[in-house]
Amino acid sequence: MSANILEIENLGVTFSTESGDVPAVRGVSLHVRPGETLALVGESGSGKSTVALAAMGLLPGNARASGRASVDGTDVIGAAEAELTGLRGRTVSMVFQEPATALDPLTRIGAQIAEVVRNHRPVSARDAASSAVELLDRVGIPDPERRASAYPFQLSGGQRQRVVIAMAIANAPGLLIADEPTTALDVTVQAEILDLLRALAADSGTGVLLVTHNMGVVADFADRVAVMLEGEVVETGPVEEVLLRPSHEYTKRLLGAVPRLAVAGAGGGAEPRLAAAAGGTVPQPADAKSRRGVPETTAVAGAPAEAPVVELHDVSVRFGRGPRAVRALQDVSLTLRAGETLGLVGESGSGKSTAARVALGLVQPASGSVSLFGTGLGRARGRKRRALLAGVGVVLQDPVASLDARMSVAECVAEPLRVHRRGMPAAERRARVAEVLERVRLPRELANRGPRELSGGQRQRVSLARALVLDPRLLVADEPTSALDVSVQQTVLDVIAELQAELGFACLFVSHDLAVVQQFAQRVVVMRAGRVEEEGATAATLTHPETDYTRRLIAAVPVPDPVLQRLRRTERQAALAAAGTEGRA
Amino acid sequence: METFLYLTRRVLQALVVILIVTVVVFCLLHALPGGPARGILGPQATAQQIAAFNHDQGLDRSLPVQYVYYLRTLLQGDLGTSYTLNEAVSQLIEQRLPKTLVLTVLSALVGLLLAIPLGMWQAVRRNKPVDYVVTTLSFVAYATPVYFLGLVLVLVFTQWLRWFPSQAPQGETLADVFAQPGALILPVVAGAASMVAVFSRYMRAATLENLQEDYVRTARAGGSRPRAILWQHVFRNSLTPVVAMLGYYVPVLFGGALVVEQLFNYPGMGLLFWSAAQSSDYPVLLGCVLVISVATVVGTLLADVVQRIIDPRVKAGRT
Repeated sequence: MSANILEIENLGVTFSTESGDVPAVRGVSLHVRPGETLALVGESGSGKSTVALAAMGLLPGNARASGRASVDGTDVIGAAEAELTGLRGRTVSMVFQEPATALDPLTRIGAQIAEVVRNHRPVSARDAASSAVELLDRVGIPDPERRASAYPFQLSGGQRQRVVIAMAIANAPGLLIADEPTTALDVTVQAEILDLLRALAADSGTGVLLVTHNMGVVADFADRVAVMLEGEVVETGPVEEVLLRPSHEYTKRLLGAVPRLAVAGAGGGAEPRLAAAAGGTVPQPADAKSRRGVPETTAVAGAPAEAPVVELHDVSVRFGRGPRAVRALQDVSLTLRAGETLGLVGESGSGKSTAARVALGLVQPASGSVSLFGTGLGRARGRKRRALLAGVGVVLQDPVASLDARMSVAECVAEPLRVHRRGMPAAERRARVAEVLERVRLPRELANRGPRELSGGQRQRVSLARALVLDPRLLVADEPTSALDVSVQQTVLDVIAELQAELGFACLFVSHDLAVVQQFAQRVVVMRAGRVEEEGATAATLTHPETDYTRRLIAAVPVPDPVLQRLRRTERQAALAAAGTEGRA
Repeated sequence: METFLYLTRRVLQALVVILIVTVVVFCLLHALPGGPARGILGPQATAQQIAAFNHDQGLDRSLPVQYVYYLRTLLQGDLGTSYTLNEAVSQLIEQRLPKTLVLTVLSALVGLLLAIPLGMWQAVRRNKPVDYVVTTLSFVAYATPVYFLGLVLVLVFTQWLRWFPSQAPQGETLADVFAQPGALILPVVAGAASMVAVFSRYMRAATLENLQEDYVRTARAGGSRPRAILWQHVFRNSLTPVVAMLGYYVPVLFGGALVVEQLFNYPGMGLLFWSAAQSSDYPVLLGCVLVISVATVVGTLLADVVQRIIDPRVKAGRT
C-alpha cells in the first residue's frame, strides 16, 4: 500500500472530437499525501480540471485516459463503473465550481446529502436523514433541522456550496478534490468556504487536491503547488517556493500578470505596500502607476466647470411590485468626470451592475435623476435620447454571450455605426471599423471571422472595438475581464488604459476584483445592498477604508503571497472572532 | 393559503379566457350567411318567415343585447337546439362527452405511459441502435394520419388476426362501454400513437438535457448508481417541461378523437361534431367548440397545478 492517498503517474488524457484527437493532458505525475493540500494551478485549457475528473473516474465519454491514477491504492483508470461507484463519495469526493447548478433543483438538500450517506453506509432512511442534519451543522448551515427540508433555490450561493461540501464529506473521504470551489462566490464568502474546507481537512486528515486559477486562493490554502501549462506540469514545489521564488518562466509570467492588492502594511503602517513581490519582478504596467495617484485625477479632470459625464442623483431602483419587490438601489448618487475612471465595487447583489445599467438608460429609476453629459436622461425622448446614448460605449462580462455568433467581427463592430450614423457611406464605415480594430490591436485578418472562432481575450477586444467605434465620451465596463485568464486580463486592461489616455473617455468600471480596480480606477465607490457604503480616491479608500464593511471586503481578498496571506488570515479570523460569529454565508 | 390565492387567481383567469371564447363563438354564430334563421328554416324560407323568426328569437335587437341574452341562456346550460337531431345541444353533449373523455383520457394515459419510459430509454441509449429504431418509428407514427393508421389497425387486427372487433363499444352508457374492453383497444391505440411519438421526443430531449446537468455529475461524485440517478433526479427534472406541454395537447387529443370516433363508429363528441359538420348543424358545432375550449383551459390549468406540485421553484416564482 502506498502512503499517498492520490497517486498519478504519467497520466495522459485525449479527447476525440469531430476535428480529430485533442490531447488535453500529457505525462502528468503528482501525488497527494493524507492531510496535505496540493494546488493544481493553470489557465483555462491547461488541463487541470481534466486531471481532477480523471482522478474521480468522471471523464466524459469522448475521453481516453492512459497511465496510472490510484486513489488509496485502487486504480481508477480503466476501472469498472461499479468499482468507481463504490469509491466515489466514500474514499474520494468532489466539490465543484458552480454551486448554482451542482444540486438537483427538485430534491430537498437534506435528501441529497442523505443519498450520499446511504450510498455507502447500510443505515435506515431516518438515520441517514439525521446524519444529513449533523453534516449541515458541521458545514455551518444555521438551523440545520429546518434547512434540511429546503430546496437549493432557497439558499444563497455560499450556502449551496456548503451543502455540496457536506455531501463531499458525508462519508469522511480520504481525498477531497475541489475544482475551483470558490470561483463563483464573493470574496467574503470565498474566505469563509476556504476556512471551512481547511478546518474540515485538518480535522480528519483529508488530503485535498485543489484545482484553481486564483493564486490568492493557492497562497491561502495549499501546502504544495503544481503548475500546469498546455496539459503538462511545468513546475512543482512547496507553496512558498513556487509563489515567491518561481523557477519556470511560465510560472513567473503567470504570477507577474496577477493584479496584486496593495494593502496597508501589517500593523497598520501608513504606507501602502504591494502585497507580494515575486522575486522583485512584479511588472506594474507603466501607466498603471501614474493613474493610481490622486494628483493625476485632478490633472485629468481639466476644467472643473465642465458638466460631469454621468451623474446619478439619489437614484432608487425597484424590481417587482408589492411586498416582494426588491430594492436594487436606494438613494445612490455618483458622479463621473471626463477622462476619469470610477471603480464600482461590491459583492454580488450589491447593485453595482444595476447602477451601471441605470447610467446606460437600460433600467428606469423609480426615483432620482440620471444625467449624461449634463442632459437629463429621464426627460430625453426619441432622437435626442438616442443621440445621448450614442455617446456611451459598453463592454460586458461574457465575451461569448455579448456578441452575435451569426455576425462577423467586422459586422459586430459596424453595427453601432449603422444604427447611429445612418448616412455614413459604406467605404467610410469599413475604414472606421478597420481603424478601430487596429486600435484594440486585433489583426486585420480576424475581421471576417465569427466571434466563436476567436479566443476569449480577442472577443473581449471586439466588444471593446464595438464600444469605441462611435468615439464615446463614456465607457461602461461591467466586469470586462472576469471571464478571462489573468494573462489575457492584463492585455485587455492595458488596451483600455492606452485608448483612454489617447481618446480621453471616462470609464465606469464595475468589478468584484478589488486588485484590478485598485490598479485601474482613480476613484472608487463601494456598494452594499443597494446603497453606497463609501467612496473616495482609490489609493486612500482601498488601503485605509473608513467602514467595517469595506475593511472586511479587503481583508477577505487572498493575496498571492503565502507568508503575508497567513498573517492576513490570522488577522481576519481574529477580527471575526472579536465581532462574534455573525456573518456566516 | 398561498396555494388557495394562486388557485383563485388562476380560476378567475380561466373564466376570463372562457368569456372571450364565448364572444368568439357568438361572433361566429352571427357570421353565418343569412343568420341562424336561414340555417334553421332552410333555403326555402321567405323573407317574412325569416323576419318573424328573427323577431321571435330577439335576433333583431342590437348585438350586445343579443350577446347578453346568449350568455344568460348559456349560464342556464342552454346551448340551443340541434337543427337535425331535434334535441337540446346540452343534452347531446351530456350524453357524448363522457364517452369521449373515456377515449381521450385512456389514449393519453396509454400514450404517456409508453412515451415517457421510451424517451428516457432512448436518451440513455443515445445514438445506439435502439435510439435510431425508436426515433424512426416515432417519425413514422407521427407522420401517419390517424385515419390511415386506424385502417391499418382494423385490417391487421380485425380482418387478419381477428383479435379485436372493428367497431368501438356501441352502448349508450359508460357501463356499456366498459363491458366491451376488447373493443376499446384499437381506438385507444389509434388515439395514443401520435401521442407516443410526440411525447417520447419531448421526453428524450428533456432527459438528454438533464443528463448533461451538473447535478448528475454531483450525484455520480457522491457514488450514486446510474439507475438511481436516472429515476431519482433526472426523471423528475425531465418531467416538468413535458407536463407543461400536456395542457396544450388537449385540443390535439380532441382532434384525434374526431377521426378515431368516426373511424370506429364510437358515439362520442367527435362523431357528434363530425355529423354536425356534415349537416351544417351550427348550434351543435358551436356547443362542441365551446366544450373543447373549456377543456383546453381546464387542461392547461391542471398542467400548471401539477407542475407547481413537481417543481417547488414554480410556486416561489423562481423560474
